[in-house]
Amino acid sequence: MTVPKEMPEKWARAQAPPSWSRKKPSWGTEEERRARANDREYNEKFQYASNCIKTSKYNILTFLPVNLFEQFQEVANTYFLFLLILQLIPQISSLSWFTTIVPLVLVLTITAVKDATDDYFRHKSDNQVNNRQSQVLINGILQQEQWMNVCVGDIIKLENNQFVAADLLLLSSSEPHGLCYIETAELDGETNMKVRQAIPVTSELGDISKLAKFDGEVICEPPNNKLDKFSGTLYWKENKFPLSNQNMLLRGCVLRNTEWCFGLVIFAGPDTKLMQNSGRTKFKRTSIDRLMNTLVLWIFGFLVCMGVILAIGNAIWEHEVGTRFQVYLPWDEAVDSAFFSGFLSFWSYIIILNTVVPISLYVSVEVIRLGHSYFINWDKKMFCMKKRTPAEARTTTLNEELGQVEYIFSDKTGTLTQNIMVFNKCSINGRSYGDVFDVLGHKAELGERPEPVDFSFNPLADKKFLFWDPSLLEAVKIGDPHTHEFFRLLSLCHTVMSEEKNEGELYYKAQSPDEGALVTAARNFGFVFRSRTPKTITVHEMGTAITYQLLAILDFNNIRKRMSVIVRNPEGKIRLYCKGADTILLDRLHHSTQELLNTTMDHLNEYAGEGLRTLVLAYKDLDEEYYEEWAERRLQASLAQDSREDRLASIYEEVENDMMLLGATAIEDKLQQGVPETIALLTLANIKIWVLTGDKQETAVNIGYSCKMLTDDMTEVFIVTGHTVLEVREELRKAREKMMDSSRSVGNGFTYQEKLSSSKLTSVLEAVAGEYALVINGHSLAHALEADMELEFLETACACKAVICCRVTPLQKAQVVELVKKYKKAVTLAIGDGANDVSMIKTAHIGVGISGQEGIQAVLASDYSFSQFKFLQRLLLVHGRWSYLRMCKFLCYFFYKNFAFTMVHFWFGFFCGFSAQTVYDQYFITLYNIVYTSLPVLAMGVFDQDVPEQRSMEYPKLYEPGQLNLLFNKREFFICIAQGIYTSVLMFFIPYGVFADATRDDGTQLADYQSFAVTVATSLVIVVSVQIGLDTGYWTAINHFFIWGSLAVYFAILFAMHSNGLFDMFPNQFRFVGNAQNTLAQPTVWLTIVLTTVVCIMPVVAFRFLRLNLKPDLSDTVRYTQLVRKKQKAQHRCMRRVGRTGSRRSGYAFSHQEGFGELIMSGKNMRLSSLALSSFTTRSSSSWIESLRRKKSDSASSPSGGADKPLKG
Amino acid sequence: MEERPQHRLSRLPDNSALKQQELPAHRLYFTARRVLFVFFTTGIFCLCMGIILILSARSTQEIEINYTRICANCAKLRENASNFDKECTCSIPFYLSGKMMVGYVYMYYKLYGFYQNLYRYVRSRSNRQQLVGKDTKAVEDCAPFKTSDNKTPIVPCGAIANSMFNDTIILLHNINSSVQIKVPMLKSGLMWWTDKYVRFQNPSSKNLADEFRGTTKPPNWPKPVYDLDKKDPRNNGFLNDDFIVWMRAAAFPTFKTQYGRLNRTHRFIEGLPAGNYSFNITYNFPVTRFHGEKSVVLSTLTWYGGNSLFLGLAYTVTGAITWLASFAMMAIHIMLKNKKMSFFHQ
Repeated sequence: MTVPKEMPEKWARAQAPPSWSRKKPSWGTEEERRARANDREYNEKFQYASNCIKTSKYNILTFLPVNLFEQFQEVANTYFLFLLILQLIPQISSLSWFTTIVPLVLVLTITAVKDATDDYFRHKSDNQVNNRQSQVLINGILQQEQWMNVCVGDIIKLENNQFVAADLLLLSSSEPHGLCYIETAELDGETNMKVRQAIPVTSELGDISKLAKFDGEVICEPPNNKLDKFSGTLYWKENKFPLSNQNMLLRGCVLRNTEWCFGLVIFAGPDTKLMQNSGRTKFKRTSIDRLMNTLVLWIFGFLVCMGVILAIGNAIWEHEVGTRFQVYLPWDEAVDSAFFSGFLSFWSYIIILNTVVPISLYVSVEVIRLGHSYFINWDKKMFCMKKRTPAEARTTTLNEELGQVEYIFSDKTGTLTQNIMVFNKCSINGRSYGDVFDVLGHKAELGERPEPVDFSFNPLADKKFLFWDPSLLEAVKIGDPHTHEFFRLLSLCHTVMSEEKNEGELYYKAQSPDEGALVTAARNFGFVFRSRTPKTITVHEMGTAITYQLLAILDFNNIRKRMSVIVRNPEGKIRLYCKGADTILLDRLHHSTQELLNTTMDHLNEYAGEGLRTLVLAYKDLDEEYYEEWAERRLQASLAQDSREDRLASIYEEVENDMMLLGATAIEDKLQQGVPETIALLTLANIKIWVLTGDKQETAVNIGYSCKMLTDDMTEVFIVTGHTVLEVREELRKAREKMMDSSRSVGNGFTYQEKLSSSKLTSVLEAVAGEYALVINGHSLAHALEADMELEFLETACACKAVICCRVTPLQKAQVVELVKKYKKAVTLAIGDGANDVSMIKTAHIGVGISGQEGIQAVLASDYSFSQFKFLQRLLLVHGRWSYLRMCKFLCYFFYKNFAFTMVHFWFGFFCGFSAQTVYDQYFITLYNIVYTSLPVLAMGVFDQDVPEQRSMEYPKLYEPGQLNLLFNKREFFICIAQGIYTSVLMFFIPYGVFADATRDDGTQLADYQSFAVTVATSLVIVVSVQIGLDTGYWTAINHFFIWGSLAVYFAILFAMHSNGLFDMFPNQFRFVGNAQNTLAQPTVWLTIVLTTVVCIMPVVAFRFLRLNLKPDLSDTVRYTQLVRKKQKAQHRCMRRVGRTGSRRSGYAFSHQEGFGELIMSGKNMRLSSLALSSFTTRSSSSWIESLRRKKSDSASSPSGGADKPLKG
Repeated sequence: MEERPQHRLSRLPDNSALKQQELPAHRLYFTARRVLFVFFTTGIFCLCMGIILILSARSTQEIEINYTRICANCAKLRENASNFDKECTCSIPFYLSGKMMVGYVYMYYKLYGFYQNLYRYVRSRSNRQQLVGKDTKAVEDCAPFKTSDNKTPIVPCGAIANSMFNDTIILLHNINSSVQIKVPMLKSGLMWWTDKYVRFQNPSSKNLADEFRGTTKPPNWPKPVYDLDKKDPRNNGFLNDDFIVWMRAAAFPTFKTQYGRLNRTHRFIEGLPAGNYSFNITYNFPVTRFHGEKSVVLSTLTWYGGNSLFLGLAYTVTGAITWLASFAMMAIHIMLKNKKMSFFHQ
């Protein structure tokens, strides 16, 4: 075992553990970590984080202070608190304190209740995770402990299919040589199994008594987020042993195919790589939130301006008039000059005019978002019947942002794909099998298909395997030799291991799901791979067991892109079976197969066009002498000290030649339902979709094609795989140049070219003609994301229609998202299912988790979760669009109504000596926003719809206003404000004009203050109610109830407040006694109200009508098309199913990394009981492991396997 | 194993219209037909209304006589506060020309530049004090006129009460150069029922002076509240008509407040006949100090109240504009119709 190069010198040098000189981790940054097995006392000194994870924020005691503190960090809340304090100063208080405190308390309470519920659920999920059971070795006995009680230095036992509780050093396992298999889907999204191995000294520690005595000490790197890197040293029995990532089991992995294993906890809880990778939870705000905050600041500035104007007015008035009026109203004792009076009046006016931004704005926004969240939770169309999971809005504050998404970052495995590989089609000897045609000759869809092929003849068949084309089975049954050979190959040429728990119950442990699918297919067609030993493979061919002698496995790697086996059949003939990527294999075929090759090529193209993953199969007969000679050379090469890999490769190359073509297979990496349609629809809605996957390039590209992100129509797909900064830069530059060249050639005429050359690069790329796609791997991405290149990368990527980043680490996913967020100022959405997506989900404006999968980390980190990718279209195009629309309409109306309400005071200021006298009764001011006008606008904000939901899907372009921020922006805001101010002017001056000289019909004075207040208030309530009526596009019963109800409540409260009874009880509080019935009985008052309403509303109606006629937007058009109800067939612009065949060559998506070939041949993974190890003399027992490791570290630095490299590698 | 939240069948969302956002609803469309219909109707309504209002307003008569300057000598006297006990009367003759003032004739005083709507002024009153059974010493809201210098509470307290208009205006009809008849004026029916019977109540005792012992009159008042009307004992205390009328503070600095209405008896049964009249004004209320003015107004009414032309004009203008707008919109709509239809049918 070699010490990894990255290993810091100091660890290697230190023979014995050095004395404690390091700081405690809780105080400063941890420099290195020490953990001694079975010694809790010792480990406690370091105060390492326990395995308890905590995502919750409060407990019962801290809730109130912490929550209040947080709430008052909100500018708005502090602002209102400030206002409240102002109101408590009698000299400037122009409104009673309750006008502010009632809404403020309401807001704080609602928010606190919401926060408390959120936190409760977080506590619950934390508890659930923390209380999982694990077996911990304490005092020599295995004890059940909760996860949270597991400490660093504990030895814990894991069983098959269990989640790893913390980051463990693998000590020993049930498998030979301390091997164990893990699935890391939660961590990096790769679902193939990975092998981890204990270091030899500890792998002997199989039983508890030995383990209990184990007192090794691990010194290793401090907690970090690098998933593929670990370096440390184990000190035990005066020896040191280097440790690498190969010995580690990380939290979030699942143990597979391993009965049990023991591990030493190195990192626990928040220190685990999984948690370190999950990033910090950031409080997400929507762009509307931010805009709102800006606007509130502007409004505040506006408020100050008005305050200053009025204060100056007050000072002048007091100087000119007020001083003389002192007989009737002496100045307050505190006021000694007109100037000071003006100063006080400034604050008084700030208090009065603060209602332009009422607190209820924030409450209402929250309520509306909550409503929208419930609609998402309730949506039956986003309920997955299969997994019985509904969609869930886990955050209630982001809904309208769903209507503004411009970039979607999607994970691949588990998100776009189901991660199920299905043997879908094959081409055998020039004949293609697997297509099913319906009556019309179209390719039949799932569900329209006839019965699947019946495999009952074969007792060993896998029941879950489905195939639809009966002709293939017929070919097998009639004994077509090509077909037989085809399946024989599939049953022999692989590195799958079988397990037969009971007779006939076969379980395949495949290293990649592709292989599993192929072997399973062979199994069902009567070529059952039954068992293997290092030297033999037993296959049941059509019921008879045949044992082949396995001579060699020429294993897969990224360069060879093929694998072969050499077997000797019972008759003694030696045959090489090979399967591999078409591009590689087709060059190595015997020239006699040219004709067959052409047919097969056609099939391959067809399969590739359907997005299937193809393999070409071939065989070659070897004669005995040649094989002997070859085997000898191979042995020599494998024993060579230098450039062993290259030598072996050339020897493999030599034998894999002049092969006979058998056919090809097509495996469907099963997409989630509706993925291509969803992607097409979202693309039409102008949303750019980037796939970020930890998977390898070929797989990712393949999926790109099958989900129609990449198409053959595309002008070019750029693939960036550079390994150095310069290479990457060059590749990006070339891509840009190509795009520019083509757009230049498209441009007709000289002027266009000139314009192009003079304009900046970015703008050129904005208008690129033709469709491009960019594929970049993690290695290049690491360079591309560096500060000096990120803009170039972004420009290039954004000019492309589709971007696929493969082999990316979780952190890179987040970085890509961050990059787009930073420079494009666009709303981003990240969707993923695994723990490897958590960081990206948290970084993006909106994170979506795919629920119903095994892991829940992604869901826990997400803002929205549902179980199928296809629901994304509904989430965005229906829910998001409506949310955005409603929120915008709500905000427009809200600002309008408050400006209309408040600005009246400003105008009145000029007639009341700027004395901060309000126009309305203070109760009206208190209740206006929380009672009289709150519910109708809430109802609109919650229920409004412009077009039915089906239209949103049919016309994805309807989504665009959200992306372009058209419905609520600064311009719209000013329009609302202008409308509000216009209304306030009329609201004041019309009653003023009428009242100035009028008398009541009984000859008494009409223009008393209280009557004026009631008249203005009533016309205001009526005008804003009519306005909300016009704004509400979708009048449900609830809207009716709220609008009419609000008016009714207004009058009811008005009459109650002005009633004799209340006056008798509180004469000084309810001063408006008798006002309602006296004022509202006057025809003049009603004439005024009607006139005000007409004058306020008519221009709005006229404006809308004209806009509808002159400049209708798509939404209007769709609405009115609907209305016209022409029996036109709705244009399904959304989706044409592309069924054309492509010319693209398939990428060989074979397995994610090297197979188990070497493992098999060495027999190390076989149980000792099942084979005689002694018969293997070719290699020493540890050599294969060593070579495997060397290969791994080679591949880590080699071009194709670069993904294992860290970020800046 | 990772445990997921339990899967229950009940997780299937309800299929209710509310939850699926499929509530039956009326969609609001701004169709040309509807909008134009609304516009034309509104236009017609406003035009008609405007014409009716203008015609009504023109049928009324009003006489306003500003007596600030006419009674300049009294004004001068009042500017000095020490002369509060000196009476000053002023007679203003005028001629009611042409037709008589038909029907009910109302007399108002009108103040210019008197800010009854100042924040501190409006608040400076105590309703509690003026209710039966409540504390006559409840002056907490009445700053800056709560108590006199020797801390006795002011009744009625507050700036509004203190500044009460206290000119006496008598309308005389000069039948000829020597005979003057006092035009009979009524004070009743000039205030809201609620003001008279709910808002203001006198202490129940018969002797008001006793009840108000230990209190003091507002500084600007010549007489205490229980002594406002020597002739009619019931018109004293808080139930004094002028007091109640005054206490209904005006919304704007220029306002007219009812003073009396014609008692239609004898020769005034039809209204005020044409002829020579004069106002006899006991000038008590100083306005020149704050550069205010005051006048006396005689006016008749229409069905909807005062004789303001504003409402009628506003309606007429609105109606006219609405109509013009309707025609313009119709024209635009028709012009665009073909184009629009083709657009919709794309």
